[in-house]
Amino acid sequence: MTRIYLDHNATTPLDPEVRETMCASLSEAPGNPSSLHAWGQAARRTIDRARAQVAGLVGALPEHIVFTGSGTEADNLAILGVVGRSRRPHLVTTSIEHQAVLNPCRHVAEAGGAVEFVPVEADGRIDPARVLASVRDGTALVSVMLANNDVGTIQPVEALSSALRARGVLLHTDAVQAAGRIPVNVATLGIDLLSFSAHKLHGPQGIGALFVRPGTPLAPIAFGGRQERGLRPGTENVAAIAGFGKACDLAAARLAADATRVRTLRDRFEALVLARIPGTAINGASAPRLPNTSNLTFAGLDGEMLVIHLDLLGLAASTGSACTATDGSASHVLIAMGVSSAVARSSVRFSFGRGHGEADVELAVDLLARAVALMRGESL
Amino acid sequence: MPVSGSSQACVPRRVVVALSGGVDSSVAAVLARDLGADAIGVTLQLRRCEEAGAGRSCCGIDGVTRARAVAGCLGIPHYAIDCSREFEDRVLRPAWDAYARGRTPSPCLPCNRHIKFGMLLAWARRAGATAVVTGHYARILRVPGEGPGLFRALDRDRDQSYFLASLPREALDAVAFPLGILTKSEVRAIAGARGLPTFQTPDSQDACLTAPGQSFAEMLRLRFGGQPRPGAVEDESGRVLGRHPGIHDFTVGQRKGMGIASRGRLWVRAIRSEDAALVVTDRPEGLDTRGMRVRDVNWLVDGPAGSARGCQVQVRSGHAAAPATIEVRDDGAVQATFARPVRAVAPGQAAVFYDGDRVLGQGWIDATD
Repeated sequence: MTRIYLDHNATTPLDPEVRETMCASLSEAPGNPSSLHAWGQAARRTIDRARAQVAGLVGALPEHIVFTGSGTEADNLAILGVVGRSRRPHLVTTSIEHQAVLNPCRHVAEAGGAVEFVPVEADGRIDPARVLASVRDGTALVSVMLANNDVGTIQPVEALSSALRARGVLLHTDAVQAAGRIPVNVATLGIDLLSFSAHKLHGPQGIGALFVRPGTPLAPIAFGGRQERGLRPGTENVAAIAGFGKACDLAAARLAADATRVRTLRDRFEALVLARIPGTAINGASAPRLPNTSNLTFAGLDGEMLVIHLDLLGLAASTGSACTATDGSASHVLIAMGVSSAVARSSVRFSFGRGHGEADVELAVDLLARAVALMRGESL
Repeated sequence: MPVSGSSQACVPRRVVVALSGGVDSSVAAVLARDLGADAIGVTLQLRRCEEAGAGRSCCGIDGVTRARAVAGCLGIPHYAIDCSREFEDRVLRPAWDAYARGRTPSPCLPCNRHIKFGMLLAWARRAGATAVVTGHYARILRVPGEGPGLFRALDRDRDQSYFLASLPREALDAVAFPLGILTKSEVRAIAGARGLPTFQTPDSQDACLTAPGQSFAEMLRLRFGGQPRPGAVEDESGRVLGRHPGIHDFTVGQRKGMGIASRGRLWVRAIRSEDAALVVTDRPEGLDTRGMRVRDVNWLVDGPAGSARGCQVQVRSGHAAAPATIEVRDDGAVQATFARPVRAVAPGQAAVFYDGDRVLGQGWIDATD
């Protein structure tokens, strides 16, 4: 069976060059990056090199990058870390964030703080004016994702920064889906904190990073040694960091070409699906989207069962964030966009990657048409 | 030259195998795959992961983990279905309602009817599968002129036909029990020979309903916030001997927990829901019943109505079915008359009618004579 992986928003295949970098790092002599001796220095140099590569992808300086164990951990460090240093008890975020942002915010609310969840517009975009209207004197942090994981809509984060800075409010963005897929620059965005993750850009799982603008007050959320300036104690995952660095290097070099290619494939996929499969619609199409993401509604079908039929045919897709996929519930993002729960339950996310070609698109549409026909009881 | 078979016969039949994470369902999956079926493993999650705790329950997250390992070992796809809400609504809550009325429920039967087969069969059909295969010990045999019938397993010690007698008759067409002709030791041998990761897992039957150090009834009471109903403990002549803390924790035939000191042996003879009283007896014969009424009968054979017929009736799990005459009344209920008295028949429990190995039908014990 030919298998097609259309779930790059969940995780991406490791780039062969990244694997090589990681294998080389794992094969090196042992060395704790915090050790004084030559072994430690070698490991430290590996991290230094990677930190520069990772910083380069988002236009930051290496010393402003903190490595974390995941994108989720970076989000937690940003939100809980700001709350830990701030006397202001109020946070503003949006209803379409990933669990990695929603749940630390809820945690803050449960612990006595206040959180405002700004609703999303019907097109899947956040209106910056509504965000700014939610900010009050006691607001410590605004957190708005750069690109949505479920529908791929790109959020106008840069429109928030100057107004927030004027009011002394910090701005965080979860750029986990955006980094490596669209240009991301911390200066252009005017951002104080930015989270991203290696495994969404063909790097390894289990390593993330948080950009921290100098001067941003941030408390650690775990305690131990002085690694990562004390913000993320614990011996570094050197090989994963090396792989993250290489992956960022590759992504930076290929970003424009990859984006164009992947967008062409995604657009062709959507055109073919709309033409060949009745009762289909694209979610979030009227707003700027990530080039690789396609969220489709199949009228009358159960999205989760469609994902299972596709899996049995060899095509990987999902009903939404892998972090919520086991809930059996519809995408909270689509619900927040105002679609009915029936439509949300009939929606499936397809996300492409740099390894795909035109033949994959044709095969994917064939398999999708077969699965939908099977479920609708049509003969082929 | 005649060609045997159609092209369709070469297409493997898609089946859903219920994988609990135990040895029985793993071997059922192996046998289904050996027969050429295109098997999909499915685990029903009866409780949410957060609730599973550290228990070794077959339904908790550790069951899903083991089931996933088995599916990986067999190279078949595996999905987990969240049935926690339905399990709560159709199994746990009705079971508590029964205990609160002084009855003794048989929760495995509604679980099999509504969850393990009801939901799973519906899911299987939507997934394009033609059958559900499970690791139950029972047999489905074709009865000439009648279609499939439900029979006891060959391994009588393992037989689970009592628990499966609640299945709707039409479901018998779409289920398969490959272990029904095997013994447990044969099943373990197959698991060992195939290197299944489950071959040493403990037997998991009913594990989803146990909590260490707590009765099932008390666990349900706490779960649903029910008030205990204390009442009098009387002897057969109506003399009050003491008081008990709540009828939900008693069942007919029970000997312990009545809180009456310094007397001889006492058994619960009856539980009176109206005033929450326990009627106790000091004679084992006081527990004997000559017959019972059975309601809401699910027939697995053709036309049981009409004149009385002889059969064997099993009144609880582990009971050796007793010879009886059954007669279907006008309202559809069954009046069963035992050939010899049967001890400790508990209202609320399932009664299953057998003709030898074959299950005739199943209903709910409403009252005893």
